[in-house]
Amino acid sequence: MDGGLATPVKAAEAAQEQPAAAAAKPPGSRVRFSDSAAGRIGLPIAAGALFIALWELQAFHRLLNLRVYQLPLPSAIARTIRDNFDILLSYAGYTLAEAVLGMLIGSALGFLVALAATAWPRRGSGSLFIVASLNAVPIVALAPIMNLWFGSGIGSRIAVVAVTTMAAMAINAHKGMNMVDPLALDLMRSYAARKRQVFRYVRVAGSLPYVFTALKINTTASMIGAIVGEFFVSSRGLGYLLSNSIKVAKMPLGWSCIVMAAVAGILFYLIVERLEKVFIRWHPSQRT
Amino acid sequence: MKAQGRVVPVLAWGAAILVVWEAVSWYLLEVAEVQMAQSKLPYVHKVLATFGTYGGTLAAEGWITFTNAAWGFLTGGAAGALLAVLMSASRWMERLAFPYAVASQMVPILGLAPIVFGIVRNEDLARVLIAAYITFFPVALNMLRGLRSVSPASLELMRACAASPWNVYWKLRFPASLPGLFSGLKIAAPLAVTGAILVELMGASRGIGVIMLRNLYYGPSHVYMFWSTVIVGALLGIASYAIVSGIERIAAPWQPEFRAKGGDS
Amino acid sequence: MESTATLTPEIQLEHVTMQYESGGSKVTALQDVSLTIAKGEFVSLLGPSGCGKTTLLRIMADLIEPTGGELKVAGKTAREARLAQKYGIVFQNPVLYDWRRVKSNITLPLELRGVPRAERNKRAMELLELVGLAKFANHYPWQLSGGMQQRVAIARALAMEPEILLMDEPFSALDEFTRERLNEELLAIWSKVQNTVVFVTHSIPEAVFLSDRVFVLSPHPGRLSAVVDIPLPRPRTKEMRNSDEFFRLIARIRDSFEEGV
Repeated sequence: MDGGLATPVKAAEAAQEQPAAAAAKPPGSRVRFSDSAAGRIGLPIAAGALFIALWELQAFHRLLNLRVYQLPLPSAIARTIRDNFDILLSYAGYTLAEAVLGMLIGSALGFLVALAATAWPRRGSGSLFIVASLNAVPIVALAPIMNLWFGSGIGSRIAVVAVTTMAAMAINAHKGMNMVDPLALDLMRSYAARKRQVFRYVRVAGSLPYVFTALKINTTASMIGAIVGEFFVSSRGLGYLLSNSIKVAKMPLGWSCIVMAAVAGILFYLIVERLEKVFIRWHPSQRT
Repeated sequence: MKAQGRVVPVLAWGAAILVVWEAVSWYLLEVAEVQMAQSKLPYVHKVLATFGTYGGTLAAEGWITFTNAAWGFLTGGAAGALLAVLMSASRWMERLAFPYAVASQMVPILGLAPIVFGIVRNEDLARVLIAAYITFFPVALNMLRGLRSVSPASLELMRACAASPWNVYWKLRFPASLPGLFSGLKIAAPLAVTGAILVELMGASRGIGVIMLRNLYYGPSHVYMFWSTVIVGALLGIASYAIVSGIERIAAPWQPEFRAKGGDS
Repeated sequence: MESTATLTPEIQLEHVTMQYESGGSKVTALQDVSLTIAKGEFVSLLGPSGCGKTTLLRIMADLIEPTGGELKVAGKTAREARLAQKYGIVFQNPVLYDWRRVKSNITLPLELRGVPRAERNKRAMELLELVGLAKFANHYPWQLSGGMQQRVAIARALAMEPEILLMDEPFSALDEFTRERLNEELLAIWSKVQNTVVFVTHSIPEAVFLSDRVFVLSPHPGRLSAVVDIPLPRPRTKEMRNSDEFFRLIARIRDSFEEGV
């Protein structure tokens, strides 16, 4: 039962945990299509392809009584992307830079706030509340304020992103630092460990999973912040191009911007997810 | 910590910030003579005065924004809940929709606001649509998580009682999914308001965003009105969150965070 | 109730009392407990839930302060003993850190005291040898079974070579078969380390198998109701579990419960 039998024992337990679904299936039935590998990737792709095909064939236009100039066809959007690729790419880079820098600054500040609130609970928790209410200020109000404070350069957009990402990080990091097993704290007390050591050895490491959750949330929030910031005031970037295109009724260009923004957003998220796998290999969510 | 112990420090922090704000504002204006000092950091009392004077207008415009956002929010929420139920009941639905739901979390959804307005050109409808779209996917995802959070043991109990599939949903899965549903709703609520305001920036004629824009571009004399609209915007965001939280307390009061904190277990 | 061991007292409690408020009424977790544990003894604190045995252990560990009475641990106050790292503690849960491998879980107390790396690693490997888990030094805790994790926790508790080992129901989360095996292993480890052990349990056979003396506690209010000597010879063997003497001791302890309640 003991000794080197850990893995076989665990494997047996895992096999038993195969949910009631497996037990309920009559023996000898085939694996359902929706569970197979082909089904898992194929279905959504097929659905997506069908959607785009209908769009191109103007099914939605007929359904919603729209004109082609209101809702451009996918082929027109693709063509616009190809024709304007240089500028789209450079603007995407610009917007992404705003998002990344702002997120780093905001997350760092948020983490510090969480640290302060955990280390000095009575006085520090006020700062946590302030950060949380800052979150309630809609981005649309933040953007013009940051513009007033930081001018019309890239600085104001970075500031918007920083403020937007601070709260999520502060709240999550705080939860992570405080969700410590009370026995673990007792253990540290039995070692006569000082507060600083408890932080370093227990709280910070334990908060990493929560920090990464916040980072993942913040990737989207930062892209949104950068783009919305550019709606207000900017001379470059995807948000600027998007709002501009709409105002001069160049719809395909506007759609191209959104497509680029979506791609950039997804890439950003996937990179952070990859980092998560590296940093918290040990967490239950990362085990097979 | 007792409720009193938590309110006082917060009030203290809030008051301290207001005082500092007022002081810095005075400094910028009178001492440092910074350009556009009042635009950057206006006197709190003057903002509040303007807020009071134009309260009616602000309330009216804010109401328009809020109601449009609310309609969109409810529609999107209902649709999202429906999708979640479908996804939990049918593997096909789940395989079809889940990747898109997750991907939508990575896409800057608010960027769609101008596009929606460009298509629809009717400002009320655009506000409703964008609020609905913003709400749809977070609600679907979170409610799905809630529906799935039912423990295998609870399901087996239902099976042992020979419960019908409808009963399993209504008596077990649905109540269990409420915390997840409200999680999604709370995330979406302030975003729905923001989306509605964004639409207004693209050229609407009514709504709080319009007032905000107007006063931003007409220069320093309209500064206090601008900041008043900012306050209204923030209040709308907070209110939407608070209303959903309030409903949550009534609909799902059993959650651990709502229990009175008693002695040691 | 004098101990037959003529060794020096390691832990002394005099009239220790623990009371606290709960929901408006006063609860007496421990009432007027006095006892002496000698150096090198293996004793158990035995009783049902609510008898205060865990509270008593935590008072010895200076994790909580008694509301009355005095105690001396290793010749000092409980607090001084803790600051001087005179004891190691094992809880019901292994409380291993998921983000550290087995070896660095064991070196944690040494890191806190600033022991240099080479020495830390050497000590950790010695301890892993002692508990029979040297092969698993680089595994993560969740790759080990519950029994193995507890052995790591025991190794960690012995890292600073403490004079006293405090154990709070360390095996009650495990199944009976694993528990009996770990009892024997614990005694094997103890015979090499030879420090003082205070072992909290609710299992009478476990207490009898492991200890030199058993302190029986009864609840409502928590108090010491009997001290039973276990004159079984050492080293203890599996076969002793089936002997007449073993069952007689179990019966004697069980009877002293009835009286206490």
